Amino acid sequence: MQGEIRLEELTKTFGEAVAVDGIDLHMPPGEFFTLLGPSGCGKTTTLRMIAGFEQPTSGRILLDGTDVARVPPHKRNVNTVFQSYALFPHLDVAGNVAFGLKYQRLTKEDRRRKVKGILDLVRLGDFAERKPEQLSGGQQQRVALARALVLMPRVLLLDEPLGALDARLRKDLQVELKAIQSDLGVTFVFVTHDQEEALTMSDRVAVMNLGRVEQASSPREVYEEPRTTFVADFLGVSNLLDADATADGGACSLRIGERAFRAEQGETGSRGEVKAMIRPERIGIEAHGAAGDNRLPGMVERAVFLGGSHEVHVRVLGGELLKAMISNDGSPLPFALEEGTPVTLYLPPDGLRVLASSQEPESTADAAARPVRTAPSR
Amino acid sequence: MSWLRNPWARPRGLVIVTVLYILWSIVPVAIAILFAFNNGRSRTSWQGFSFRWYTGSAGSVLHDPALQGALKHTLILAVICVGIATPLGVALALGLQRWRGPGGGTINTVMLLPLVTPEIVMGVALLLLFLRVFPGIGLGTPAQAIGQVTFTLSYVVVIVRGRLTSIGREFEEAAADLGAPPRDQLRRVLLPMLAPAIVASAAVAFALSIDDFVVTQYLAGDSSTTTVSMLLYASARGAPTPALNALATVALVITMATLALALLVYRRFAGGREAAAVATLEV
Repeated sequence: MQGEIRLEELTKTFGEAVAVDGIDLHMPPGEFFTLLGPSGCGKTTTLRMIAGFEQPTSGRILLDGTDVARVPPHKRNVNTVFQSYALFPHLDVAGNVAFGLKYQRLTKEDRRRKVKGILDLVRLGDFAERKPEQLSGGQQQRVALARALVLMPRVLLLDEPLGALDARLRKDLQVELKAIQSDLGVTFVFVTHDQEEALTMSDRVAVMNLGRVEQASSPREVYEEPRTTFVADFLGVSNLLDADATADGGACSLRIGERAFRAEQGETGSRGEVKAMIRPERIGIEAHGAAGDNRLPGMVERAVFLGGSHEVHVRVLGGELLKAMISNDGSPLPFALEEGTPVTLYLPPDGLRVLASSQEPESTADAAARPVRTAPSR
Repeated sequence: MSWLRNPWARPRGLVIVTVLYILWSIVPVAIAILFAFNNGRSRTSWQGFSFRWYTGSAGSVLHDPALQGALKHTLILAVICVGIATPLGVALALGLQRWRGPGGGTINTVMLLPLVTPEIVMGVALLLLFLRVFPGIGLGTPAQAIGQVTFTLSYVVVIVRGRLTSIGREFEEAAADLGAPPRDQLRRVLLPMLAPAIVASAAVAFALSIDDFVVTQYLAGDSSTTTVSMLLYASARGAPTPALNALATVALVITMATLALALLVYRRFAGGREAAAVATLEV
């Protein structure tokens, strides 16, 4: 099976700014691989280097074992779906889709058959003679997809392809994209800043920040077992607390403020200054005064109704604000969801995660503010 | 006078000024055109409608060799000018747009200089050039053509670059991505997308060439290199007949038709805002 990409020490600088900082990644054939990160993290630059639009400053790009870093884009067997689609306005849908087939030795009949086949696949069979401007955003997106897929690339690169669409259409196309990818078995390299998109579609996710890969693993792993505070913070909502770690049998005892908590997740071998992390949905809210380990008192500061759940902000002793999620499942609550209600929070040991403090990267906001050019703005 | 101060009323003051200006600028031209159809030798008193100054047997545009020659020479110059300035300007625009090295800004400014240089300065400079530096070319049709290309080129570059900027790089990248070598990126994607701007710039170059007087006059050789504008200027103070008006009308109609066509083409294929920009340049 073809379509394996290996990035080795890949680096790209624009003048002083380092856009991609020596990343190593392996994308096996047939995988739906996502580069996730805030704007300016280097994900688009990485994609553009794989496509051939940018030359790496150093490092290698291995496509099925061959270094293609110096191969011009028109000679690489990878294709791109652009964020803006970049459909040729002077050609109709069929003309757009057939554009690249000219460079494959095919008979006219073969070419026609291929165009029809791929347009049927993306459910645009009846739109072959339309001009791009006569199509909706979602349809244009599918033309862009068809135009790239018809060439049977070993790897398909997608640069925030759903970014310009409204929420509902996005959801539909997420499912559709994933289905097409599984059917064709083409390696997809997908760039997005949308964590939900990354989690729902990908086989593996590489979370990028400041030109580096923070963590590359399965969606479940990056969410459940973040290795750095950046990953914990960027995916979903996290509570991050300063803590002091000491040994506690096989686990770890975290001193947060005045209290000690048992933590069983993450780098439980760490000692000294660490970060404690817990997801809102893992925090239990109990009536004020509930007794037991891993509990701390606090006061409800705000309760945000989210439909299926409530997000409750609790100010705990010591001044930290923790976010807890409670399901709106109809079960009676032992406390009032009102500002000022005293409650007790339960941080279960198997939900409390130890993150080594030394790995703390700059915050997301700083990363976005850094003048790293990822792509020419349109 | 309350309506003058009423902020909700139509701004009549502005309307009056605008209408007066339009009348002031159009009426003389309209009168000149009108007398091109005068059935008499006078250019001031109306003697009835006729086409005699266009097709009549004596002294008409169709039969007077001087007028004929001027019209022919004007059109020949315009065709040469468009034929050279358009491809050259498109190439320059493409080159400048993709220029990534240092000095890009300087070159941009230099490209715009001919737009603001007083034409008389350029005319004198070009005259010296052809007399002293390239005496081999000499004055006459080649010098006139080169002179016109020199200043129309800037217009072509400005119009085509405007369109290029709005096209952006991703279409070329998409073409490359789909396997098109650089030659095809240009031929199959960029040039078709630039077509409206190229047509518009060619039309502007054509109109500028027909209109031009100063540079063309300076670089003229013998009487066979007299253009319509030169002839009009030379004979305006002599003993003119309405044939001159007829000649001017023909030139005007050609210019207007060309520009209208260009605007139409451009508006059909490009956004309205850019079309407006081109329309402004024409004036």
